[in-house]
Amino acid sequence: MSNQSNIVNIARREVSVRVRTRSYKLGTALLAIGVIAMEMLPVIITKLEGSSSAKVAVVAADASVAARAQATITALLNTGSSGSSPTASAQTGSAPDFVVSVAPDLATARAEAVKGDVSGVLGIERAADGSLAFTYYSNDAASGRTSSMLRQGANAIAIADRLDRLAIPAAQQAALFLPATYAVAWPDPTRTDPVRDGAAAVGQDLLGFAMTILIFMIIVMYGNWVAMSVAEEKSSRVMEVVLNAATPFQLLAGKVFGVGMAALIQYGVVIVAGVGALLAMPTIQAKVLGASAAAMSLPEGLTPGLLLLFGVYGILGFLLYATLYAAAGSLVSRQEDVQSAVMPMTLISMAGYLVAVYSTTGLLDARSSVMAVIVQIPFLSPFMMLSRVAGGIAQPWDVGLSLVLLVAAIGGAIWVAARIYAVGVLLYGQRPGYRAVWRLLREGM
Amino acid sequence: MALVIDGLRKRFGGVQALDGISLNVPPGSVFGFLGANGAGKTTTMRIVLGLMRADEGTVTWDGRLAHDWPRQTWGYMPEERGLYAKMPVLEQLVHFASLYGIPRSTARAGAAEWLERFRIGDKADARLETLSKGNQQKVQYIATILHGPDVLLMDEPFVGLDPVNVAMLKAAFLEMRDRGKTLIFSTHQLDQAEELCDSVAIIDRGHLVTSGTTREVRRSTGHQVVRVATAAEDRGWLAAMPDVTIVRDGADFTEVRVAAGSSPQRVLEAAIANGPVLRFEVADPSLEQVFVERVGALADDERTLAAAGARA
Repeated sequence: MSNQSNIVNIARREVSVRVRTRSYKLGTALLAIGVIAMEMLPVIITKLEGSSSAKVAVVAADASVAARAQATITALLNTGSSGSSPTASAQTGSAPDFVVSVAPDLATARAEAVKGDVSGVLGIERAADGSLAFTYYSNDAASGRTSSMLRQGANAIAIADRLDRLAIPAAQQAALFLPATYAVAWPDPTRTDPVRDGAAAVGQDLLGFAMTILIFMIIVMYGNWVAMSVAEEKSSRVMEVVLNAATPFQLLAGKVFGVGMAALIQYGVVIVAGVGALLAMPTIQAKVLGASAAAMSLPEGLTPGLLLLFGVYGILGFLLYATLYAAAGSLVSRQEDVQSAVMPMTLISMAGYLVAVYSTTGLLDARSSVMAVIVQIPFLSPFMMLSRVAGGIAQPWDVGLSLVLLVAAIGGAIWVAARIYAVGVLLYGQRPGYRAVWRLLREGM
Repeated sequence: MALVIDGLRKRFGGVQALDGISLNVPPGSVFGFLGANGAGKTTTMRIVLGLMRADEGTVTWDGRLAHDWPRQTWGYMPEERGLYAKMPVLEQLVHFASLYGIPRSTARAGAAEWLERFRIGDKADARLETLSKGNQQKVQYIATILHGPDVLLMDEPFVGLDPVNVAMLKAAFLEMRDRGKTLIFSTHQLDQAEELCDSVAIIDRGHLVTSGTTREVRRSTGHQVVRVATAAEDRGWLAAMPDVTIVRDGADFTEVRVAAGSSPQRVLEAAIANGPVLRFEVADPSLEQVFVERVGALADDERTLAAAGARA
C-alpha cells in the first residue's frame, strides 16, 4: 500500500476513535469553559466591585474639614484607584468605588459601621498642635485596599489643611499640586523608537506569557497522547497486526498526524468558543454592567502576524516533540512505564518553558547575547520565541533562523524516531536504558 | 511456487534463537510448526513476515524474496491477540483491511459475511472488549484473512478456544486451503496438527529437528506402533519380547512400540501363540510420540504427564 494512504488510514482511525472518547469530549468542554471564563473575568470582577462600592462616613468637628474630606476622597480615590486598570473604560458610568457621606457624630457612625451599613468611618480630629489626626474605624484589614486608599486621601487632606493654616491662597495651592515633568527613555542612546508605556508593556508580557503556556500545553499534553497511544497499541499487541500491513514509519507518521488532527480539532473548538464569547462580550457587558459599558478590545499587541507565528510554532513544536514522544512510547511494554520513558522530553520542554517565563518576568535578561543564542535551540524556540516577538525583542531574521533550525530538527527527529520505533515496537518485556537505545539507533532496522 | 525458508539465523543478545532453520512449505497446504515455548516458532514467523530481520538466511515465496511481495500477500495472527479493545468490531475489521488497500465498502461487506458465518453478526457494532474471548478470537481470525492473503501465518490459533469454536476454526482453515491458500500455524497441541496438517516441521531451541509430510514425519523415527489385545490377562510375553516397549497398558488393548528394523509381524506371531487374538493393529507413531522421542524436552507440565503415562 502506498505511504500516504496508510498514513491517512492510520491517522483517520486515531482521530475518529479519539474524538469519541469521554476524556476528549470532557477535556474540550473544560478548555472551552476555561477560555470563556478567563474572557469574562474582567466583566465579573467589574460587576462584583461595582456592586459593592465602599461606603465611608466622615466625621469631623469642623464642618468645612468634613466637606473638604468628602470632596477630596470622592474625587481623588474614585479616579486614582483605576487609572492603570484594564477595566477602566468598562467602569466609566458604573457605580463609583467610594461613596462618601458626612455623619453628624462619631458614636452613631461607628454603630452603623458595626451593623455593616457603612464599611468604615473616618474620624477626623484636630490635635493640640493644630494638625489633623485621622482614625479609620472599620472591620476591614488595616492594610486593606480601602484603608490604604483612605490613607492617601488623608495625606492630601492634611497637606491642604496645613497650606490653609500657612495662609497659602487656593490658586497657589492648585499650582503646588501640579505634577512634575517626568520622562522615561531608552538607555541605548541610538534608540529612537517610542518607549513602551506601562500598560502596553504589561499587556505584551502577559501575551507572551500566555502564548508560552499554551505552546507548553500543546506540546506536553498532546505529546503524551502520542506516547500513550503508541504504548497502548504495543501493550495490546495490535502493533504486530498493524505492522504486517503498514511500515513502522507509516504507523509513526499516522499516529503523529492523527493526534495532531485531534488536537487541532480540540483547539479549533476552543478558539471558536473563545472568539464567540469575545464577539458576544459587548452584549454581555451591556446586560451585566448596564448600557453605558464600553466594548472591550483585544489585548494590545495581539496582531494577526503574532497569531500566525503562534500557529506555526505550535504545529512545528508539536511535530518535533511528538515524533520523539512516539519513539519513547514504542520502547515501553506497559502504559504505566510511559511517564518514565517520556521524561527526557518532559524535562527539556519544562526547561524551555521556565527559561521563557524567567526571561518574560525579568528574572533572566531577555536581551543578553546568551539568550539570543539559547532561543535558537529548536527544542526551546517554540516556547521562547513568541514572548520575544510579543515583547519586540526578536528581529525578523531571528524568527526566520529559528524556523529553519526547527524544520531541520524535525527532519532529524523523524529519522531518529523512525529507527527507534522500528525496533522498539517489537521489543517486549525489557525496559531499554539509554545504552540500549543508542544500540538500536546504530543498528536500525 | 512454495514458501522456502533457507538457513535462517537470529541472535538476541546471548541467545541463538534460530540456528539455521530451513523449510519448504508446499503451496495450497496446511503446514504445522511444532515446538515447545522458546523453540523459535514466533521468531521464524516474524522473519517470514518481515517484522524482524534475520541475521542470516532468506525467505522466498514463489521464487521471489518474501520482502518483495505486496503486504496484501500475507496474513498474520499473532499469538497474543491484538485488536483495539475499545473499537467497534466491524469498524476495526474495515480499518485493518483498508491498511492493505481494500476499499472500505468491499471490506465492510466481506467482514459482515464472515461475522454472520461465525454467528456473531449481531456483534458488528459492539465494542470488541464486550465480546467473549472465543468471539474475540473469531474477530482476530477475520482480521487475518479479510484482505485475501495467499499465505496465512498463525501463531497458536487454537489456544483458549472451546471445542465448538475449535471445530469452527478448523472448518474455516480447510476452506481456506481448498481456495488455494497456504496456511502455516504453530501449535503445541500435537493432536490438532496431526488432524489438520498436510506437512509439519518440528523445531527445538532454534534447530530444525525434522520436517516433511505429516506421514513422513510420523515415520521418521523408524518405529512402528502396535495395538494388541488377547484373551489372556497375562502380558508377560509382551514385556519379554526384544525390540518391543510397552507404551500403554490399557484395559482394552496394549500399545507397544516396535523398534526400527524389527517387524510388527513378530508381535502378531507371539500374540497368536499366547492365546486368541482379539485385536491387532499396526500404525505409525503419533506426532506426539515422535515429538517426545525426537525432542525429549517438553514443557514441565507436559513432561510430568508423559512420565505419569509411562508409569501407568
